[in-house]
Amino acid sequence: MERKIPRVMLILAILGFIYMLAPIVVVVMAGLTAGEFLTFPPQGLSLRWVAAFLQSESYLSAFFFSFKLALMTMIVSTILGTAAALFLSRTNMVGRGAMRAFFLSPVVLPGVVVGFALFAFYISTGIGLSRTIWGLWIGHILYSTPYVIGTVGAALAAYDVSLEEAARSLGASPWRAFRKVTLPNISQGIQAGSIFAFIVSFGQFEVSLFLSSPNSEPLPIAMYNSLRYQFDPSAAAAGIFAITLVIASVLLTNRLVNIRRLLDRRQ
Amino acid sequence: MTAGSGVSSAFRPARLKWLLVLPLMIFFVVFFVIPVGLIFATSFNPPAIGQVSATWDLTLDNYIRFFSRSNYLEAAGRSVLLGVIVALATVIVAYPMAFVIAKTEHPGRNTFLLILVLAAMQLDMVIRLYGMMVILGNNGLINQFLLALGMTTDGAPVQLMYNFLGVVLGLVQFALPFMILTLIGVIRGIDPSLEEAARSLGASRRRAFFRVTLPMSMPGILAGSLLVFALSISSYIVPALMGGFRVGVLPIHIFQQVAESARFQFGATIAVILFVLSAGAVAIYLWLGNRRSGGMA
Repeated sequence: MERKIPRVMLILAILGFIYMLAPIVVVVMAGLTAGEFLTFPPQGLSLRWVAAFLQSESYLSAFFFSFKLALMTMIVSTILGTAAALFLSRTNMVGRGAMRAFFLSPVVLPGVVVGFALFAFYISTGIGLSRTIWGLWIGHILYSTPYVIGTVGAALAAYDVSLEEAARSLGASPWRAFRKVTLPNISQGIQAGSIFAFIVSFGQFEVSLFLSSPNSEPLPIAMYNSLRYQFDPSAAAAGIFAITLVIASVLLTNRLVNIRRLLDRRQ
Repeated sequence: MTAGSGVSSAFRPARLKWLLVLPLMIFFVVFFVIPVGLIFATSFNPPAIGQVSATWDLTLDNYIRFFSRSNYLEAAGRSVLLGVIVALATVIVAYPMAFVIAKTEHPGRNTFLLILVLAAMQLDMVIRLYGMMVILGNNGLINQFLLALGMTTDGAPVQLMYNFLGVVLGLVQFALPFMILTLIGVIRGIDPSLEEAARSLGASRRRAFFRVTLPMSMPGILAGSLLVFALSISSYIVPALMGGFRVGVLPIHIFQQVAESARFQFGATIAVILFVLSAGAVAIYLWLGNRRSGGMA
């Protein structure tokens, strides 16, 4: 058994997974605790904080606001990102790598700076987008589209273009060949990309910071505002719903595309 | 040769192909390049409280102010130091995790572990920080546990957050999935027969790991560290909640200048400095990646 994983490595990895996942487990426990706050050992289970969340004006409206914003973002990011990924997969032009890096760059550039830049841009051009859902929408599209490009790009890399060429040579129009041959082959990649776009928007904090207002407040901002002052277990209950949403979407992504292959290309 | 129309040209007309990328290009230029460019311009305008628009009145005053005030320089230094410490700590925590995932050959188990990493990465940072605060706070789970064991001195809580340590712990939690995903690919790419060769030549398992596997992972470790550095110095939410505004880093100063004091020009200056630091790390990351693939990618 030469290939076995060394025991030290295994123990360190388990500790790492605990570090990565413990906060998430703790949020679920805090949302389900019977006490005023989470204690050790726990005081038993209850749904009182879940009920409090479902009755709370601010969290519930923030939850639905985020949901709506994420859906809006998902639609535009999926269309723009898929089209751009198609272009990137079919061009040999010189700046191709640079263009791809440019479209992916928002993921690693400071969201606070980009949010501030958009905020200043809205105000100084006077186009009436500041502190509206539309202004947030634009910022979220910038940060969600890279995930669509990455996921659809991976699907396109696994797809053999000669299939489409064969359809063309048999007389299909370009649009028909694309719609009947290419699209069905990459549709699962597109669906997975759109789920990513949704989740990234739903959890987006940094860009929203400068762009939200009390009338247009996404869930992460609402939770942040309450966390600054006190531990509100109904925020943890809101967290349980968000955690469920994320787990469901990652599982769905896994059904659509092979996560292992998708991530292999990511690095 | 006549280019353009005709059956002999490429299947996809070259000019029409551009229509695919045009909408996103326009969107990025209008809502990304121009706004960030305006921030660069604003940073060279003389300070005027409440004034947002960029003007042609250019000066270096804001930069002189930034580099002559010790608290801003310290904030920049603290951000960079934080980025370096978090990158190192994240490598140490992430490497064994990535190693185990890369070496897990059972497809179901492998997918399960990847789903855990991906779910952690996609989950809203505010929710993860709520959990971190419940664990590390003064009345948090760790302190309750220590108190119950009588391991605290005079019942005083161990300060695990609202300080630099807390920000580091929060940022490592934030950056872990990114580092793991970067390392898995690199570790998987190392030919296991190399380690076996070292073993068969008499190297102990530990020696074979430290002399063969780990050095061959260095490109991934470096790339992941640059990525984590860029992500860490950019984060507002982690220093805000885990540091309780007591750890002044660049993103915190930007928000204070802009949202609390309406000093747009100076806020823009700090934003430019943060942007350049972060983009610089990303540029090195891309350059290394390009060199590694020999320009083939």
